[in-house]
Amino acid sequence: MNGTFVVARRELGGLFKAPFTWILLLVVLFLNGALFSLFLANSQGNVSESLEQSMTGLAFWVWMIFLPALLSMRLIAEETRSGTLEYLLTAPVSDAAVVVGKFLAATGFLAVLWTSSLIYAVALDGVGGSPDWSAVLGTWLGTVFVSGVFVAIGMLASTFTATPLLAAFLSMVACVSWLVLPWLAARALDYILPLVTTTPEGRDALVERVMGVVANMDAIRHFQRSFRLGVLDSAEVVFFVTWTAFFLFLTARSIEARRWRG
Amino acid sequence: MIEVARLTRRFGALTAVDDLSFTVEKGEVVGFLGPNGAGKTTTMRILAGYLPATRASVLTVAGHDVQRDSMAVRRSIGYLPESVPLYPEVRVDEMMRFQGRLHRMSRGTLKQRIGETLDRVGVLDRRKQLVGTLSRGLKQRVGLAVALLPDPEVLILDEPTSGLDPIQRGEVRRLIGELASERTVLLSSHILAEIESVAPRVVIVHEGQMVADGPKDELVNSLGGDGGHVLVEAMSTATPQEMAGLLRALPGVTGVDVGERVGIHQAFAVRGEGDLREDIGALAMTQGWALRELTWRRPTLEQLFTRLVTGVDLEDSASATASGAEPFTGDSALPIAQPTPDEPAPAPKPLPLGVPGTAQPKTIYSLNPFDRGASRDLSKPVSVDPLPIDLDGADAETEGDEPSRGDGA
Repeated sequence: MNGTFVVARRELGGLFKAPFTWILLLVVLFLNGALFSLFLANSQGNVSESLEQSMTGLAFWVWMIFLPALLSMRLIAEETRSGTLEYLLTAPVSDAAVVVGKFLAATGFLAVLWTSSLIYAVALDGVGGSPDWSAVLGTWLGTVFVSGVFVAIGMLASTFTATPLLAAFLSMVACVSWLVLPWLAARALDYILPLVTTTPEGRDALVERVMGVVANMDAIRHFQRSFRLGVLDSAEVVFFVTWTAFFLFLTARSIEARRWRG
Repeated sequence: MIEVARLTRRFGALTAVDDLSFTVEKGEVVGFLGPNGAGKTTTMRILAGYLPATRASVLTVAGHDVQRDSMAVRRSIGYLPESVPLYPEVRVDEMMRFQGRLHRMSRGTLKQRIGETLDRVGVLDRRKQLVGTLSRGLKQRVGLAVALLPDPEVLILDEPTSGLDPIQRGEVRRLIGELASERTVLLSSHILAEIESVAPRVVIVHEGQMVADGPKDELVNSLGGDGGHVLVEAMSTATPQEMAGLLRALPGVTGVDVGERVGIHQAFAVRGEGDLREDIGALAMTQGWALRELTWRRPTLEQLFTRLVTGVDLEDSASATASGAEPFTGDSALPIAQPTPDEPAPAPKPLPLGVPGTAQPKTIYSLNPFDRGASRDLSKPVSVDPLPIDLDGADAETEGDEPSRGDGA
């Protein structure tokens, strides 16, 4: 555990020392602010609706795909290129500690980044607006969970190459796939399922069962049906934590495989 | 302190380390030598816990099994890879603090050790400098400081002088020499002269296999570099056999090889108990020999190593180029033919340099692409008159060694 926090602390320090991070922070805050003002103007000053839009709308998901990928692309790829990965992997800390430490740093940084929306809520509350605090906080927490999954995917992509930009590209493709695949699968199954059953009753039962499974894989749905409403559902938390753990496990395995490849 | 037995590591079809076995005792400094791609880095990475071994019957460092108790090994060693991995965006003391935290050092100990270690490697005044702005030599020192911070029992240094200029190399070598008195050190290099100056014991690897292991003086002997010899080149009115007889009569001389004539001088290789130059010099003085060369020659480890690995004798090629004569050293090149009184001395080979004052045939090669007579024999008279331009028969002039040009003048 100690090793995890030592790695996380250094990684976070490294992030804040890199000019790239500050540029990213500046651009995100500026665009987030501009979008929020736009939402506020469009909704005739409806604070809750504007906050919800800025934390769940299309712009939000675009951020969600770009930012974790850009942030996590360096985590392993850069260290591979500079040779510091060899230093870390011969230090008296486990591979898991290195992976989790880096993950915590990147996710922590994103959590800080997403607080900009919380700051808008605080500011609006101060000037007489009445944001739905449970929804705002729930959405922020959900955002952090989704960021965690995407950072884990980004780290996995980062272990495959020593070129950070290629890692970022791989990560974006993987994140989009992870978001869109259940929806695509549902559309495809609409056509396929009627072909494999003969009776209408059997078909309905099969469609219901398969669609249930596919729907349960849909991350956006998981996000929208709890965090966005301000409800902290343990099942939803487990969903995101499990996926994060799965990708982190794959990252650690990928680093282990790298040791064998040499 | 380090024990390796039957270590093998494969990368797919490539066997990087092949059944390698060696031990390093506590307090010993061992140089790990071999050409690039010999398996040095792979072995060191396995010892440091970075790469797993494909197979090894024993693999322990500081009393811990590398394969089963990698964490204990990592805590006991200071490992400096060739690339000197340091984070460029942090300051020197931040890098040291990170290393200390990874090794779970307490805050007080860490503060004290950082000062001590940076002072030891001579970069205390750079503690607030960004690592990325340090020169290559300073980075190497900081890398060493990072490896030394947890006061490890064993130091594993992979090519610690690689990429440094000669002055920096000397400094790093001196530093390693100082550290060697306190710790077990395994360091690698492909430059043998560097290892020779730091490590009393040398392990030579080639294509993943051990070629030799032992103190360097013993290695020189065991690898075919016998006790050495004195190379004498002298001019005298006496015959080479008479000169050899006088040399052989000197106390301590066990054998004299008569070499070639080099110009007006005759070469001999005098073997015996150690360096006999003083006795030979005294003999030359009493006999009135004009000495041109009196050198104590012993093959260096580098020459023996190169001969072992590539089959090429370094000294052969070097001295042949320098003097134009066949040297004595080198197993294939030794013209050892002990002349006995009954047996006439071998006929001297043609002199490559010739006799001074006589014209020698010489072929010169022109790099001028417009010189269509690209090479010509200078022993033949050459016309200094401009060649008649024959537009129709231009082909005749393109011949390289065209005798008619000279003959026709």
